[in-house]
Amino acid sequence: MNLRYLLQRLGTLLLVLIGVSILTFAVMPLVPGSPARVRLGVQATPEAVAVLEQQLGLDRPLSTQYFSWIGGIVTRGDFGLSLISSQNISREVSRRLPATLQLAFAALLIGLLIALPAGIAAALKPGSTRDLGASVFSQLGVSVPDFWLGILLIMVFAEMLGWLPSTGYVPISQGFWPWFSHLLLPAVSAGLVSGAIMTRFVRSAMLEVLGQDYVRTARAKGLSERTVTWKHALRNAAISIATIVGLQMATLLSAVVVVEIIFSWPGLGSMALNATLQRDYPVLQAALLLFAATFAVINLLTDLSYLLLNPALEYG
Amino acid sequence: MRKILGIALAAGLALTTVAAAQQQGGTLVAAWAQDPVGLDPHITSARSSIQVLENVLDTLVSLDQDQNVVPSLAESWTVSDDGLTWTFTLRDGLMFSNGRAVTAEDAVFTYSRMLDPATGSGQAYLLAGVTSVEAPDDSTVAFTLDSPNPAFLSKLASSKVVGVIARESVEDGTINTNPIGTGPFVIADFQPGVSVTLERNPHYWQEGLPYLDAVELRIITDESVRRSALVAGDVDWAISIPAQSIDELKDRDDVVVDEVPAGAYWYIGVNTTVEPLDDARVRQAISYAINRDEIAAVATFGTAVATQDPIPASSAWATDYAPYTQDLERARELLAEAGVADGFELQIMPTTQYEESVRIAQMLQASLAPLNITASINTLEWAQWLEEQGDGNYQTFVCSWNGNIDPDDFFYAQHRTGEVFNFTGYSNATVDELLAEGRGTADAAERQDVYAQINRLIVDEAPYIYLYNPLEINAYRTDVMNYAARPDQAIRFVETWLDR
Repeated sequence: MNLRYLLQRLGTLLLVLIGVSILTFAVMPLVPGSPARVRLGVQATPEAVAVLEQQLGLDRPLSTQYFSWIGGIVTRGDFGLSLISSQNISREVSRRLPATLQLAFAALLIGLLIALPAGIAAALKPGSTRDLGASVFSQLGVSVPDFWLGILLIMVFAEMLGWLPSTGYVPISQGFWPWFSHLLLPAVSAGLVSGAIMTRFVRSAMLEVLGQDYVRTARAKGLSERTVTWKHALRNAAISIATIVGLQMATLLSAVVVVEIIFSWPGLGSMALNATLQRDYPVLQAALLLFAATFAVINLLTDLSYLLLNPALEYG
Repeated sequence: MRKILGIALAAGLALTTVAAAQQQGGTLVAAWAQDPVGLDPHITSARSSIQVLENVLDTLVSLDQDQNVVPSLAESWTVSDDGLTWTFTLRDGLMFSNGRAVTAEDAVFTYSRMLDPATGSGQAYLLAGVTSVEAPDDSTVAFTLDSPNPAFLSKLASSKVVGVIARESVEDGTINTNPIGTGPFVIADFQPGVSVTLERNPHYWQEGLPYLDAVELRIITDESVRRSALVAGDVDWAISIPAQSIDELKDRDDVVVDEVPAGAYWYIGVNTTVEPLDDARVRQAISYAINRDEIAAVATFGTAVATQDPIPASSAWATDYAPYTQDLERARELLAEAGVADGFELQIMPTTQYEESVRIAQMLQASLAPLNITASINTLEWAQWLEEQGDGNYQTFVCSWNGNIDPDDFFYAQHRTGEVFNFTGYSNATVDELLAEGRGTADAAERQDVYAQINRLIVDEAPYIYLYNPLEINAYRTDVMNYAARPDQAIRFVETWLDR
């Protein structure tokens, strides 16, 4: 890999982010409902709406609003103020991004802990009971909505058994167990679904590799089944699996929106959904921009991981 | 055995309650349903905001549990013989939560800001008719009205949107995030979608109060999760719980379900400016077509009382006027008289913000089918609903009015010709005259008579088709002491303490 490639990718990333920012800005005013009305509620007089829109700067031309907003971000890293709560968005985002990333990574980890063994085991003996078990699990997992699973987990583990807290977030600085016990249920809610999806991919990636000539050759050479599976098959399946993991991470970032709402998790997802419902444009734009940036960075990391998994590859 | 143990525990609990008296300290965790929509008291009208402000601001006068107006920041008040000047005397030694002394000028600042068109307050209507607010001295606030209005006092007590605020909050731009007032708590932190943290106000004017050090309002939007969190003991108190689980919670030993009839009503708002709904007979036909008991039972799972007029039976101003027993024959006759015997197409607009509004719409839709009225349901999310309703782009909508006390609160803003909140476009000269008469009359018996007439006219002409008065239901753990659900749906933790 060379520097030129990395710069190229970063350049693309920047273009994507600019595109996202323009698109979200252009689309939002087309959505019916205005933040001024949301703030005033049922007691919105037309005069009050007009005054508030002027105070919030919503009466300015869209392009002026855009440049003042993007200017703040580029020059000062300042995302502005929420139109509803008047809170500093940069501060809010910096508190929330870590919470969302923790949840998404924990969910991904849980997903992988399920998908890798289940998928590999199923692929090694296609048509067996364990293969059937894996496919039933993945079918179930894909069909179960994560919000329903979240509520179910709360009822069982918080309400009935009393083992884990039902809602809320505690930073790791306040101790490992408080942090972990709050993280577990939301992470499982999001992770099970993603584990179910990944199980299928791991299984088919492994199956494909196991059918290749070099695996047959390896077996013919008299290598043990273990060596064939772990050294030859899994390593070659790893690239397809890495791709799926990258894509799953992106899917998880959106899946956690629902899970965050259910568990009162202070992440970007619940912030984005609230902002959408309240027409809080700058908050939503900040959240979308960060989601897009995270997604793009994960994509880049996935591509780079191919190099580690298969050093023969060369980018340029 | 479990039951016996429960009784023994309850008896033990009762004993300790007497013995322990009020305990200081602790954090109460409350499950809140929705985010506050900004905290500037003059801008927001969201209940989720007002219920936060309830614990942060104080008004000149307040409402006790029975909805009587009682002293708060003002220890006394007088009204002039002509009914035009209301004078309030502030208590000594009042302080804002930032430690600055409160003077009458602060009240003047508060109400002047609310009335100033440049503020863009949607709440200014509460002070309608006020021509000046003055502070003759440091402890006297005087309001001058353009005409007498006995309901004025209840408007000043209605909710904390008329609470006294410190000008510092406005001047430094924090009024929407952290309004400074004189209430028992201050806003320590607000994370939208997650929580609002209230901390004890060290300068609070009521000696020894509040008992709690802090209140964490945790936003849990899903009602079944609120129930689970309460049962699991992760939260101490819940703003509302699924109506279908109320009986189950009442059977538990560790949870109290506290319910009280609310000064609120749910209704169908009918656009009186579009055909064929501009004909009162068509609106009456709809009112005859529905079965209110069924709607109340289904929409609220039996936690409401069906009604045909707005004022709940628990209020001293209630009249029992109920002409609309379900009668499809009568409804058909009325439609025939109005020339729409063959029916018409009707759109109903509920909102996802309130699930019961959707259930009401579904019940209404089914009730209208036998009359050949083909109803479609257009469920909108809140922001869009507000826009369509505000712009009058609807045929019928489903909504509620909350926190009404004086009879004027039930009719004036809603039905007087040209009022901003007269969403239905209703106009009736007789009603307008009676509404003015109600405000101009001081004698309670005479007022009662005037509002009974207004009530009859509005019910008959049906710009609003009244459905039911809901119960206010809060649920909490048994160690939450001295909390009471209130008819005005205010949530006050000032005297609440934890028995731990």
